[in-house]
Amino acid sequence: MSDLERRYLRLVRIFYPAGYRNARGTEIVGTYLALSSPDRGWPSVADVTDVAGGGLRQRLRAIGATGIGPGVRLAATLALLTATALAGGWAMLELNAWTTAWFGFEQHGTSVSLGLGVWAAWLLAAVVHVVAPGRWTRLAIGLALVLTVAVVPLAAVVDRSRPPLFVLLAQVCLGFVALGVPGQPPVWLRLLPVAGAAAALPVAATFARNGGDVLLGYYGWPAGQVLPGAGMALFLVTLLVGVGLAARNDLRGAWALLVLLCPIGMLWLHPLAEELAVSMYGGGPNADWTTLATAAIIAAVAAAIVMSAALMVRRRLAFTHAAVERCTACGSLTSDSAKR
Amino acid sequence: MHLPLYLRIRYIDGVETPVREPTFLILTALAAEPLHGYGLITEVARLSDGRVSLRPGTLYGALDRLLDAGLVTIEREEVVDSRLRRYYRLTEHGGDLLANETERMRRNVEAATVRLNTRARRGTPRLSGGIA
Repeated sequence: MSDLERRYLRLVRIFYPAGYRNARGTEIVGTYLALSSPDRGWPSVADVTDVAGGGLRQRLRAIGATGIGPGVRLAATLALLTATALAGGWAMLELNAWTTAWFGFEQHGTSVSLGLGVWAAWLLAAVVHVVAPGRWTRLAIGLALVLTVAVVPLAAVVDRSRPPLFVLLAQVCLGFVALGVPGQPPVWLRLLPVAGAAAALPVAATFARNGGDVLLGYYGWPAGQVLPGAGMALFLVTLLVGVGLAARNDLRGAWALLVLLCPIGMLWLHPLAEELAVSMYGGGPNADWTTLATAAIIAAVAAAIVMSAALMVRRRLAFTHAAVERCTACGSLTSDSAKR
Repeated sequence: MHLPLYLRIRYIDGVETPVREPTFLILTALAAEPLHGYGLITEVARLSDGRVSLRPGTLYGALDRLLDAGLVTIEREEVVDSRLRRYYRLTEHGGDLLANETERMRRNVEAATVRLNTRARRGTPRLSGGIA
């Protein structure tokens, strides 16, 4: 066995579920080897990505989550629109002269906060979506995701301001869903994230101008207002699109809504944490780290339970349907089902 | 029996319809003869003039869906240079779906050709007065 074959087998072992790799592993590796040049010693980056993608698809298939691709793509488009609109708004607030009180004595010239770099990465993803949708857009979203996560330890190391965790967490959830953006969307869909970011600028400017002293609480007050608003808008738009599609017997919108439940929950984190604070501590709705973390866990678990239940129901119904549609004698598809 | 509404997501037994180009090309490649994974990848590239380049992870994901949907089946297995090769062939159901998709696209091509011919007969609108 060559080193290359051993490396491909290791990749398949890492990414594919056990049962599938026992049945198909050597066949898949054989195909990679047949496609590779004789002098190659290591799998290419594209092959590693392909093995990872194939393994993920198999794992989703194992839990009955295949066939919801169009719903995921719709959810991804809406998630990217929301993420870039929020990034546009936050960038505006970071740069705006009216919000300098956010940073007080911490402000260093025009370099206001590490958050600005994060939001710039998201805006770059919106631009890449216009000029190079598909793989390049996913790479740009991946980069923005990495920066959104990396800003937390980076801010601690360099001792600079950064957006609060509940703002970053919502952005990360939206970003993960946005990774499923379609490869070749029509032009108007390609422009949507840039349009969303542009539309957010005047809204953010209005917030900044009217914010006054309340903006002292770095992101706190606008984030507490804007994120639930964005969550509600995302929910309503997905619902409306879903109802419109359902009228044509197309349930993409329903799956999109299920996929977006977690990001929507994260956008509602602050009001949820405030409610928790009232019930846990009594007194005013003062969210703290504990209530925010608890609210995040509740939102994530609730979204996972709803999605799992929907997949279970779908798998059960599909199984029943398949059982009815197959010939009782030989197990083959009946002529009626074969026509579809 | 009609598929219930809650399952009707533009799929037929796990295959999105109208089928996407890679799926169409896989079915087309298998229409002539059974092929193994590597043969399918090279044939799809040839059919699309190199435009569609499938990778094994993507190919086997698509083949699994087609196998589940009963559009493709395993013809035979053989071991070449101590490596397993599975040959896949189109089923009758797969052939019907490919024929339906081809007919749908043929009608689209015909409609577009008629419109383009009409447009050509009318003459392409030209700028009057030239460019200053």
